[in-house]
Amino acid sequence: MNRNYCDGLQRRDMLRMGAAGVFGMGLTLPQILSGRAQAAVKGTETKEVSLIILFLQGGLSTIDTWDMKPQAPAEFRGEFKPIHTNVPGIQLCEHLPRLAGQMDKFSLVRSFGLSNSDHGPADHYLLTGYRPGGGFNGGLKPNNQRPAHGAVIAKKLGPRGAVPPYVCLPKMHNSAGSSYLGSSAAPFTVEADPNAPDFIVPDLAPPLEIDSQRLGDRRALLQQVDRFQRGTESKANRGANAMSTYQKKAFELMTSSSTKNAFDISREAEKLRDEYGRHSLGQSCLMARRLVEAGVRCVLIDHTNWDTHFDNFKVLKNDLLPHLDSGMSTLFRDLHDRGLLETTMVLVTGEFGRTPRINKDAGRDHWGPSTAIAMGGGGIQGGLVVGSSNERAEKPATTPYGPEDLAATIYKCLGIDPKTEFHSPEGRPIPIVPGNGRVIEGLT
Amino acid sequence: MPAIHQLLYRLLISGISCLLLTIAQLQLADRGLASEPTLDSADAKSTDQQRPLNFENDIVPVLTKFGCNASGCHGKAEGQNGFKLSVFGFDPLADHKAITREGRGRRIFPASPKHSLFLEKASGDLPHGGGIRISSDRPEYETLSRWIALGSPIGSPNDPHISSIQITPHSAQLAMGQTQQLRVQATFSDGWQTDVTALATFQSNNDGLASVDDKGLVSIGKVPGDVAVMTSYLGQVDVFRALVPSERTASTNATTTEIADANFIDQHIHAKLNLLNLLPSAPSDDATYLRRTYLDIIGTLPSTAEAREFLTDASAGRREDLVDRLLERSEYADYWGLKWSDLLRVNRLELGRKNAYLYYQWIRDSFSQNKHLDRFAHELITAEGPIREQPAGLFYKVVSDPKQMASTLSQALLGVRIECAQCHHHPYDRWGQEDYYGMQAFFNDVAFKSSFQGEALVPTGTAKSENPRTGLQVAARALGEKSPAHVKSDARQQSGLRYELSGWLTDKQNPYFARNMANRIWAQFMGRGLIEPVDDVRMTNPASHPELLDALAEYLKEHDYDQHALIKLITSSITYQRSSEPNESNASDQQNYSRYPLKQLEAEVLFDAVCQTTGVSEKFAGVPEGSRAIQLWDSHVPHYFLQLFGRPMRTTACECERVGEPTVSQVLHVLNSPEIQGKLSHDNGRLAKLVQMSDETLIEELYLTFFGRPASNLERQFASEHMQKHNDRQRALEDLAWSMMNSLEFLFNH
Repeated sequence: MNRNYCDGLQRRDMLRMGAAGVFGMGLTLPQILSGRAQAAVKGTETKEVSLIILFLQGGLSTIDTWDMKPQAPAEFRGEFKPIHTNVPGIQLCEHLPRLAGQMDKFSLVRSFGLSNSDHGPADHYLLTGYRPGGGFNGGLKPNNQRPAHGAVIAKKLGPRGAVPPYVCLPKMHNSAGSSYLGSSAAPFTVEADPNAPDFIVPDLAPPLEIDSQRLGDRRALLQQVDRFQRGTESKANRGANAMSTYQKKAFELMTSSSTKNAFDISREAEKLRDEYGRHSLGQSCLMARRLVEAGVRCVLIDHTNWDTHFDNFKVLKNDLLPHLDSGMSTLFRDLHDRGLLETTMVLVTGEFGRTPRINKDAGRDHWGPSTAIAMGGGGIQGGLVVGSSNERAEKPATTPYGPEDLAATIYKCLGIDPKTEFHSPEGRPIPIVPGNGRVIEGLT
Repeated sequence: MPAIHQLLYRLLISGISCLLLTIAQLQLADRGLASEPTLDSADAKSTDQQRPLNFENDIVPVLTKFGCNASGCHGKAEGQNGFKLSVFGFDPLADHKAITREGRGRRIFPASPKHSLFLEKASGDLPHGGGIRISSDRPEYETLSRWIALGSPIGSPNDPHISSIQITPHSAQLAMGQTQQLRVQATFSDGWQTDVTALATFQSNNDGLASVDDKGLVSIGKVPGDVAVMTSYLGQVDVFRALVPSERTASTNATTTEIADANFIDQHIHAKLNLLNLLPSAPSDDATYLRRTYLDIIGTLPSTAEAREFLTDASAGRREDLVDRLLERSEYADYWGLKWSDLLRVNRLELGRKNAYLYYQWIRDSFSQNKHLDRFAHELITAEGPIREQPAGLFYKVVSDPKQMASTLSQALLGVRIECAQCHHHPYDRWGQEDYYGMQAFFNDVAFKSSFQGEALVPTGTAKSENPRTGLQVAARALGEKSPAHVKSDARQQSGLRYELSGWLTDKQNPYFARNMANRIWAQFMGRGLIEPVDDVRMTNPASHPELLDALAEYLKEHDYDQHALIKLITSSITYQRSSEPNESNASDQQNYSRYPLKQLEAEVLFDAVCQTTGVSEKFAGVPEGSRAIQLWDSHVPHYFLQLFGRPMRTTACECERVGEPTVSQVLHVLNSPEIQGKLSHDNGRLAKLVQMSDETLIEELYLTFFGRPASNLERQFASEHMQKHNDRQRALEDLAWSMMNSLEFLFNH
């Protein structure tokens, strides 16, 4: 368990960040100060753990990666071979060699499963802890019947510094919304791929011809022109009130150099960018690290294309796994090198696993009953395997864990009481963790 | 005061448990005497003191109250950890079996009830995923224990069943911060009455106004208005309504009684405001009324010239004349066509380009011809034949499942959500599965065939549905009707049953259709339905002004469902014409229409406003040059702005699909988007022309264009100072226009 000082920063981090500031990277002094000031205002001991969710939408085939079954019949085990990792006794897929070298920094839960195998509901289940009820419509954006983890975190812990507390990239997942927690808990979405050569967060800065002097003029002008903002109208109307709050927030975002720096991925060394991998997944991981470093509390990376109904092995081997290998392994190593791993929890999961039996198209279909998830950092021990699935990875063989338990574990690590309740629009008190969620044993 | 309520409540609870114990003892004694106690022998003649336990009457309410059969727990479709109950206890037979027989009977141990797994789990004696639900010192624990000891009887079919519940008090006027304990009494079919407060569930329809705890103690908040607290018990519901007046101030005392009424709308609204001690805002000026009616009726800003013309019109009837003109504009059909295309789901991805356009044209034409709403509904419900001739039939292609046809049309046309009743009795309303499958049956014969005239809707098969739980066939039956629908012998078309449904729906006696249409139109103008959300009509979600809603529905019927007539009525009321500026007394009012609300412009309307004010139109993919956003019949036309501002994807018939909440990204986009800056600085745009003019003219034009009103003296002064301060006039003008576009006055209808 980490020991944090009451200002929420670890002494070691202070030294590191100070040094980083001098070299013009990472955090700036004013930011550290503002972080401290905030903690002081709160007057409570805050355990400032951030969360990065790498969501492999479509459904990662965990029988081919986290939970291989080399003893199973050929029509189940598939063509990949397991390899040793830097933790004795734990094996991973041969196409994740770099990740095998970081196994000591994260753990696997192999007795994980959920009672849904549909895109949409399962995503919602994983990202909120709640299986959606009647009337759920996965096509809505957001489709949340319950707030996503990031929204709960934003609502409970609030922003840290000038950056938004909850960020989605490179797009917003349909189940990433804040539901009844309202606009202040909704994610800030970076609608752009950090791997694009001309990557820029849309609208975060004014067009080129508007320099900072002119922006200042415009802002002053706006304050004079907008009579409703000064008058009583904005306070008496909820939407108008939110709009004017956001306008203040937006100017903070636009004028804060730390935000600008955080989103400016080109400030990273080329070598490190290469190590993360020059693809959407890799650069999104790097961006997530930058954002967490700048004070973002939850980053949700929505990475698609994992729905391998056809040619599962070819697609994984040639395309998806190399990307996962470079992005995820460098993220763990980089967080560790920067002393951020203790305060950053990383969760890697799809919405479900894939059918243990290979289908006629050399693919695997949706499989909720058994999957595995990978977690590390932020209080989660590394190099462990929790639970197991049966010999063909069809179902959990030990105490099964599900999205409810994942929610309880996340909130515990982030220092949020899992019994916290919010009210739904119908006035029902809804706990952030469903009644039967319990912390996954042996991880923390 | 709360302390006294709590004390009273405790007394009440202990009273109930005493009573339960007494009954228990009597019954034990009773059964001890009988050598072979049969349930039949105990029924019918039972008196108040000798009521036998009945699973449905006595045990299910306990499971409901403590959340055991909630949809998140054992009530969910697959149960929880191998123990499955019907959600909210709608299927007592199955629940009885689950408790007493399944799990090889290990859940029940009559010889020593407290060692029953059922009780050990519920009380937390054994580890239970759901935690301690019913601790062993509770009276309900005793009830369960006693029931097990008695051999877990299911009861007799002849046992009295619940007939109603009554909440007391039924209504009250309460002060802010006050509390009120509610009591719930159940009446059974044999006339027996008992207090069920402890086992009833409670829910407030507006937490800002009042909250309620699980013991029925209502706590009033700090907002004036009225609030409904619903209680439910064994599938029965009742409602307590509280009126919470604003605290009296000197200003309210002075003037509340002297408000004039323009029509019956104002009478109803003012009567309520009087009760609540709320003083309405002042009347709005002509410029505000102009912009407001343009946006509400045609989703379009007044042009500079139109604003100038209206503001110089001094005739007495200028406001009414304005509305008459707007109703005849082509944008009226565009805008209302857009709204109904959302609800009725015009969707290119599902229908293909040609059909989606055909379907849209039918909707838009309906509004351009001012087709009366009953006719519109009739065409939609009874569509049959080649879709080229009956494009309304395309509804049944977008919504292709008869269950969804029934629930989508119920929601859109009646404002009633029946989806819950697909699986169980609607927990907060009267709808049961018979209602759901009865409605579905009307649509079960909908089928498409290709014909020489192209694709055609041709009824095929029988219009009956099957309840999958009971396996029984259900005949078509309109919502809430006792008897099934019959096809009259003179029905010429095959879709006879749907003709019957349409006849029922548009009959002037129909309790839903006219009210729903009136409520939807009211909400469009007043920002909030008299029933809110507009498509969630149920007994437990009462209207804020029920008499007004009835009167509006009546008015609509008297005018043969003419939407224009109702719009004219609403827009001529003093209520609609009030300023949005709050006064001291009504700033916290959210539901009593004491001022006009600020409404964020819809994605399409806002974008059109940006294009219109900058004088630079947008070219959308797949539609002719010059088309405006409100004319887009396809909600999937790629467009970042429209998507960002919450254009719906049309995947449901819910109004809620259009996201009304602003986001940081929206704000950032209007502030910073290069596209909007491009429109401001466009060579052929409006600003390029204005910059040639004198400061005075330019400022006058800007305010008329962006805000639809003349600049005030103060504004004129500061704007001309701003223009003179900068050498670069183009830049100064762009910045001024930019700040107008980013102000709430532009982004909202007010």
